[in-house]
Amino acid sequence: MSDKAVAELLRSDLPLVTVEAAAGCGKTHQGAQFATDAASHLGVGRVLILTHTHAARSVFAQRTQTVSGSVAIRTIDSFLTEIASIYHRAIDLPADVGAWARANNQYDEVASRCRHLLEGSSLVAEAAAQRYPVILCDEHQDASADQHRAVMAVHKAGARLRVFGDPMQVIFGNNDTGVRATLGRWEDLKCSGASEKLLTPHRWSGSSELGAWILAARQALKDGGTVDLTGRLPKGLSVYFAENSAQIPHRSFSMTSAHRRPIDELRRRGGQLLVLTESNDRVGHLNAFFDRSMRIWEGHRRENLARLIACIRQSAGDVDAIVDGFLAFVAATAKGFTPSAHGNRLRTEVKERCSKVTRGVMPAHLQAVARLLIAEPDHCGVARALAYLVDVVERGETGFGEVELDLKSEIRDAIRLGQFPSVDAGFAEITRRRTFSHPQPPRRCLSTIHKSKGLECDNALILLCDRAAFSNTLYKRRLFYVGMSRAKKELALVLSRDDPSPLLKF
Amino acid sequence: MANQPRINSLMIRRFRGIEVLDWSPSAGINVLLGGGDSGKSTVLHAIALLFSPTNAVQVLETDYFNRSTGEGFSIEAVVDIPPEVGIADFSSLWPWEWDGSAAVLPDPEAEKEPNHPVFRFRVRGTEDLELVWEVVQPNAEIAALSTGLRRRIGVVRLANDDRNDRDLRLVTGSALDRLLSKGNLKSRLNKQVAETDLSAALLEEEMKALEDLGTTFERAGLPHDLELGLTSSQGLSIGALIGLLADRAGVKLPLASWGAGTRRMSALEVAGVTEAASRLTVIDEIERGLEPYRLRQLLAKLVKDEGQCFVTTHSPVAIKAATKAALWFIDAKGAIGALPAVAIAQQQARDPETFLAKLPVIAEGVTEVGFLRFLLRNAFVAAPEDHGIRLCDGGGNESMLGLLVALRDAGLMLGAFCDNEGKSTGRWKSVADALGSRCFQWRTGCLEANVIAHVDDASLLSLACDSEGASGERLRTLADRLGLQAKDEASILAACGASEQRFSKLRALIVAAATGDKEGAPDVDTAKDWAKHSRRWFKSEEGGRELGQKMVELGVWPKLEPELLTFVNALRAALGQPALAPGRLKL
Repeated sequence: MSDKAVAELLRSDLPLVTVEAAAGCGKTHQGAQFATDAASHLGVGRVLILTHTHAARSVFAQRTQTVSGSVAIRTIDSFLTEIASIYHRAIDLPADVGAWARANNQYDEVASRCRHLLEGSSLVAEAAAQRYPVILCDEHQDASADQHRAVMAVHKAGARLRVFGDPMQVIFGNNDTGVRATLGRWEDLKCSGASEKLLTPHRWSGSSELGAWILAARQALKDGGTVDLTGRLPKGLSVYFAENSAQIPHRSFSMTSAHRRPIDELRRRGGQLLVLTESNDRVGHLNAFFDRSMRIWEGHRRENLARLIACIRQSAGDVDAIVDGFLAFVAATAKGFTPSAHGNRLRTEVKERCSKVTRGVMPAHLQAVARLLIAEPDHCGVARALAYLVDVVERGETGFGEVELDLKSEIRDAIRLGQFPSVDAGFAEITRRRTFSHPQPPRRCLSTIHKSKGLECDNALILLCDRAAFSNTLYKRRLFYVGMSRAKKELALVLSRDDPSPLLKF
Repeated sequence: MANQPRINSLMIRRFRGIEVLDWSPSAGINVLLGGGDSGKSTVLHAIALLFSPTNAVQVLETDYFNRSTGEGFSIEAVVDIPPEVGIADFSSLWPWEWDGSAAVLPDPEAEKEPNHPVFRFRVRGTEDLELVWEVVQPNAEIAALSTGLRRRIGVVRLANDDRNDRDLRLVTGSALDRLLSKGNLKSRLNKQVAETDLSAALLEEEMKALEDLGTTFERAGLPHDLELGLTSSQGLSIGALIGLLADRAGVKLPLASWGAGTRRMSALEVAGVTEAASRLTVIDEIERGLEPYRLRQLLAKLVKDEGQCFVTTHSPVAIKAATKAALWFIDAKGAIGALPAVAIAQQQARDPETFLAKLPVIAEGVTEVGFLRFLLRNAFVAAPEDHGIRLCDGGGNESMLGLLVALRDAGLMLGAFCDNEGKSTGRWKSVADALGSRCFQWRTGCLEANVIAHVDDASLLSLACDSEGASGERLRTLADRLGLQAKDEASILAACGASEQRFSKLRALIVAAATGDKEGAPDVDTAKDWAKHSRRWFKSEEGGRELGQKMVELGVWPKLEPELLTFVNALRAALGQPALAPGRLKL
């Protein structure tokens, strides 16, 4: 259970070692140290570190700098994509598998076919194992079934495998069926080799009381129990009570001023702050609740952009279809640009090809937007139209005062598309840049717990801990744990008395 | 998996004299045979170029087929790379699967043990006379085949030029370099040499000249305080100047100054102590500089090493000793054919020169060899052997048929002279079809029967007189067959029965004795004796010659000329000589 025991076990000759690593317990440190050691003892080939995010990849890269020539650090997607590219003709994929996967968001399909190849052809699996005789998997709980089986095929072909993961951070899949399948794989993995646990709360070295408490809470959530908030709370943990007083609670968020006061105080304090909530919808509601005073952390994915691009790719040249994609994108990334006020009018302008003379400021602007789309019904026109719209919103032109641009990164990326000769080239380059620039969240921001995974922050506020957010499911237990383990110094939980979460005892 | 590199297949396109060559060499020793300029050395050169340890190789226009650089040339090999080579360090290179005849994509659906992994290496000469070393990846993309990887595989090449001793010097990638250099040997050598005090070698006068130069420099505002020392220069590496020395009568001499054979053997020994995993051997003219006993030693060593090697030779000693090697023949068009051991092993031992001749003529047996020697002695401008014709003993009808088929399949130009035993007619016909008139087969029976058939009755018994005029031994065989004590001509003739059938009986009796026919022998022991009768008649090279002589003396030639002249003219045609008219062949 000690860090030392884990370090020794990792360095043993055992073919497979599994390490259950709670959040903030020095997993990356252990992993990077081990990779450095293993790399310096390797005769042929390189140590392969498989991560799930580019952010983790760059952290490992920094920490294994001394042996950078003997360590390969890849996201598991890029590793499988590389193999799939080499053998694309054997698994019926196009030549540029990477571009294809990016453009169509088909990484799952790539993983599935690559798994099939690695399991079906020991020649390929052995070649991979010779190139990477030691493989370290980071955050393996996030691996899909295909990704897991692909790695296991290389392991069976001779690669020593070191797996870090946390069954309490299984949150991909968004439901208990998915969680249960992942937990099953984790248990199988533990049983097929030696396993150890990393449970020393290094992240909280400054506030060890909070760290110990979070670990205890993790254990309780894991065992199916409740997190005990009665009695003396550890230093760094504070609990507030509030209710969502909105008329339609799943459509918006509000509080009485009495409830709101302590939360506003927290928000106004200086320093880093991560306001965490359970769903994308609620991020939107809280954004309004906080008067858009905090940026939304958009994470690394660009779901709305991907949808817009799919529409452009399919319908370039057909301005009536393009305008629908444009409106859907604006609706998802901004607030206040409504069908009644703007959307229908824009659509009509497009349909009539701007044939009527407009009256008033807003209609003139909408006609200008329509003209841009008509002139270039493709990614360039969309980019110019969006840039025009952002400009009028920022200048607060009449009729656009209510419009708020929320998902600024998605909008910025969509505007950048216009600089590229084709939509696919643009998307590929934008994705590539994002991959290598590792965008960091703002010091103070609003995020779903999902997108906060892997981040850490001095102060975290989870809002709102009610039954709707954290019911008693395997998935929600883990979601709650991931959220609370983000805080390094202070964690604030806002609880609901009216609709209490069954995971919390108070 | 192999623990030595191995070329599974080789594809050459438009390289030097070879326009197209596709070849699947065997795992061990490959001996390449073929006439002059057939491309044997080109194949070896191609292999050495593909694995060249440096990029500093000059390409000439003449390296391109027909000197036409426009289309470029390419040399591609599908190779096994043993794990010891550490190709896994080149993590962007991925293997193909070897299906027994080609590199294919691995098939995840195939429910079988996969074959072994192979890589496709290629070197191309571009139209700009540049060389590009490449690895063809399974997705058809091209990756670089680095010198680093090529050096790890390390071809040991003994070329056929006299000055070749690179493997005995510390030239980059040489056998000696690969054996010795660990880390920065060459920079350490440079340092050591640079520290040597050279001024000690200068005479007083020379020293003074150097000092004066220093003063001149100083006055001109140039760097001064001059000394002599090592100054490295471009294109000349310290490694090329440093090589093995060995003791000869108390003096250390560079191995490079020993004889060609010793140099070549030494280079192989140096290579032999490097790791087996990194060894492919290419030896042009393996016999060069080696006495037969050392040549046999060398071949035995190559067999023992078990590595793949490529050898050319013009030496019958080498061919005879290469029993564990695969023999290949390259014809003038650059086509390469296998000489399967099972069909040629006997011939390889009996007459290795068969495979080195320009036009081997496979004859049924020794008698035929002697007969043809007589027949052909004046058929060409010079002696037949001077034209590259070799008359070979094919070791009997069955054995020569197998040999002929093998030689024909390998693409050799050849002739055949054989009996007709009425067996394997289909295979004989296929050989005859391929060889045309160069394949001579009696319509029926053997040489002796066909010659003796045309001898006058009165002259029949003169056949019994051997070249020295003695007839006793041959008459004895006839008497034995007739059960006579006496062996005089009169008794034999009398025993042949009534006068009307006497000579046909005698003729048959002579043919039976001359061919060692056992038919009609009263018991097994007698049959054994009868079988040996042929040796007393014509069954020797000398006997064959004598039979030819008798054919002329006894007036048989005009009867056989139509058939035999056609054969002779076919051989002449193969050498580019016009046909002889009837009566023009001087016998």
